[in-house]
Amino acid sequence: MAEFTTAVFQNEFLPDGGTDVNAIVTISCKGAGTAGQSGSGDAGEIIIVDTSGSMGPATMAAAKDAAQAAIGEIVDGTWFAVIAGADRAMLAYPPVTSGPALVQMNPQTRQEAQASIGRFVGSGGTAISTWLDLAGQVFASVPQVTQRHVLLLTDGENRERPGRLDEAINRATGYFQADCRGAGTDWQVAEIRRISQALLGTVDIIPRPDQMRAQFQEIMRASMARGVADAKLRVWTPQGSQVLFVRQVAPTLEDLTDRGVSVNPLTRDFPTGAWADESRDYHVAIRVAAKALGQEQLAARVQLALGENVVTQGLVKATWSNNSELTTRIDKQVAHYTGQTELAAAIQEGLAAKAAGDEATATTKLGRAVQLAAETGNDEATAKLKKVVDVQNEADGTVRLKRAVDKADEMALDTASTKTTRVRPAGS
Amino acid sequence: MTETPAAAAAESPCGSCGAGVPAGSRFCESCGTPVADAPAPLQPPSAVPSEDHALGDAPISAPTRRPHDALPDPLPDPGRRPCGTCGGEVGPDLYCLSCGTKAPSERDHFREAPATWVAGVCDKGPKKSRNEDAMALLAGEQPGSRAVLVVLDGVSNLVDSDVASLAGARAARDVLRTPLPAGMGTPQSRDAAVTQVLTAAAAAANTAIVAITDPDEPNPASATFTAAVLEGTRITTAQLGDSRAYWFPDGGTAVQLTVDDSVAQQQIASGVAKEVAETGEYAHAITKWLGRDAQDVVPSVAFHDVDGPGWLLACSDGLWNYASEPDALAAQIAAAGPVGPGELALALVAFASAAGGHDNITASLARVGPLPAVPPPPPPVQNAGVTAAVPAPPAPPVVPGEGAPTDG
Repeated sequence: MAEFTTAVFQNEFLPDGGTDVNAIVTISCKGAGTAGQSGSGDAGEIIIVDTSGSMGPATMAAAKDAAQAAIGEIVDGTWFAVIAGADRAMLAYPPVTSGPALVQMNPQTRQEAQASIGRFVGSGGTAISTWLDLAGQVFASVPQVTQRHVLLLTDGENRERPGRLDEAINRATGYFQADCRGAGTDWQVAEIRRISQALLGTVDIIPRPDQMRAQFQEIMRASMARGVADAKLRVWTPQGSQVLFVRQVAPTLEDLTDRGVSVNPLTRDFPTGAWADESRDYHVAIRVAAKALGQEQLAARVQLALGENVVTQGLVKATWSNNSELTTRIDKQVAHYTGQTELAAAIQEGLAAKAAGDEATATTKLGRAVQLAAETGNDEATAKLKKVVDVQNEADGTVRLKRAVDKADEMALDTASTKTTRVRPAGS
Repeated sequence: MTETPAAAAAESPCGSCGAGVPAGSRFCESCGTPVADAPAPLQPPSAVPSEDHALGDAPISAPTRRPHDALPDPLPDPGRRPCGTCGGEVGPDLYCLSCGTKAPSERDHFREAPATWVAGVCDKGPKKSRNEDAMALLAGEQPGSRAVLVVLDGVSNLVDSDVASLAGARAARDVLRTPLPAGMGTPQSRDAAVTQVLTAAAAAANTAIVAITDPDEPNPASATFTAAVLEGTRITTAQLGDSRAYWFPDGGTAVQLTVDDSVAQQQIASGVAKEVAETGEYAHAITKWLGRDAQDVVPSVAFHDVDGPGWLLACSDGLWNYASEPDALAAQIAAAGPVGPGELALALVAFASAAGGHDNITASLARVGPLPAVPPPPPPVQNAGVTAAVPAPPAPPVVPGEGAPTDG
């Protein structure tokens, strides 16, 4: 049985008249087990491979190989299917036209699925909304599957009328999770990130075909390790208070604020998807009515709920004090993640400005990003930034845009912008 | 236990929430309110007391049964506790489920209201880390019939003084459940019998305190003891240490009913000015107490007959430190306005908290006669239609500079 623990990092002391409470709540899971085997329902996996005409021979070969390797990682007993995506989606495996469209993994189905992937040929366009919709229908055909995960690979820009993809994303939101990968550099980071963020998954670039197999295996292994299906972050706040924001801040940055579903007038549930043995950090900011000096009050109960079952709880508090030594301290974790959030925004805004030809804004934003990455110890961001800008002074954030930038490096910086680092332990 | 199988099967409504409470229960299963009425039936006195005695049907001698146990009563299960700030429910994490206000623990702040005319508040106070005061109340349903106020003040910084004081208060209350004895007919005989009962109550409290004290503990728990029993027009007090009982007749001169067993009191007796003695170095050194190292646990018993309406107060020094003179306390009662005993107790605790609040604060009150300047509190009526016609009790007055009473 999975065990959950919670730790709260905050400075609970507010000055006289202070109203805003910030806290980092770390929720950790141990003993998650394997997907579909925790007794809360079966697990389902769908692999969607882009089979549009834009997939070059090398990319297609690598994609087939990677999808076959991913199939190899799916644990026996897991329900699965393979979808080939072009300007419409086709169920490549299992070969059925009605009834249950998922089969359970065993040596025979594994071999059959890998064989059907081997027959993929690239042709046609890219209509990702149809891929997502078919995945939803396939999952729905086997009701005992309650933990639903999709691995989606594409190499090109979506060619549909505007809005169609967003409608499909809305239909899928809350129903299945999706990890998305883009092959090469002809796809749009912002577009695919919309899918992965709404569907509680990750997005990344696979610049070279030979990197694909390892990535797919890793994604599928991670998905198989998620033994806890569909957990929700439940946030209670006192009467008369206001939730300023709720963000996941580690391992990646996701703003959950607008995704809350009301449980009762004081409580909202935010989706977190399935959990493996891992820990995630959440930044909650609550505005409460100021109380008299010396008073203590609860600003939030932050819980993790499995169904209606609350498995762990952290308390975010507020205590009003006139001791300025206490009230002016900013919690290290809160400061760190505030910096990481600004870093992500600076990178994304800087790259957008650069793409739009606004070099002045791009230079300022990316300079600030370099500064923040150094301050918060985000070495990955620093390394990726250095491929896009020449750093003149890291501490001041003075940079110059590189003249010749590899498109893949720019996209890698963009996809990695929401990856955060944790606070370094003291002394390291 | 004294209950019979027949009695155990019977249910009576809880005084707080109205849920059925099996006879013999100490707490309501629904709301956790302590059940005031004991397994031993508490008989309200006849409406007209006999000529020389408040209770015509009182037993002749002291009860012979021993307190049924010397162990501390468990604290009531928090259950559904109302929030002191917004009236919402306090969650298991001790914060209100509606407004998030931190609730004091059940030991740090508790109230008892055994009848409409008797109530008390026992509060940790803003400056103390734990509540070593304790209180145990009893009352007959009929206003002015019979009330027992027991207040113990655990001596600071001794091990388990908070547990000991509560155990002692409840043990003494158990002894005082039955009406005080009438004696053999003469006032002397009656007073001797009553003194014996109150001495037994103090002894029971002492037994309870000693029972929870580790025999090897070099700093054994100890506590003061003040019991005030009102029966009809007579108040009987028993005293060890420096908690106090007062009588505040409406419009009359307030009286302190007990004499402190303290160094300060000895100095006053030898001519030192009261205000000097009570603020001196040994102001709070007591000369009698309950506990394993107590030399003398025989209380001073005193009698006071009342001839009109007023308030009986039993309190700890956390209250009277800020208004030692009876008139000063009477002024605080007057300032609270015409309120019921529960609101008045909260107002007095709020007064002491605001005045400094350096100690735990306990205030327990019994009302004799109707409330001043408001319609008399209605006798308990079963008819809901009649109840609805009774005007709601007035809101507690806002005393300038005071915080919410429940925050202590």
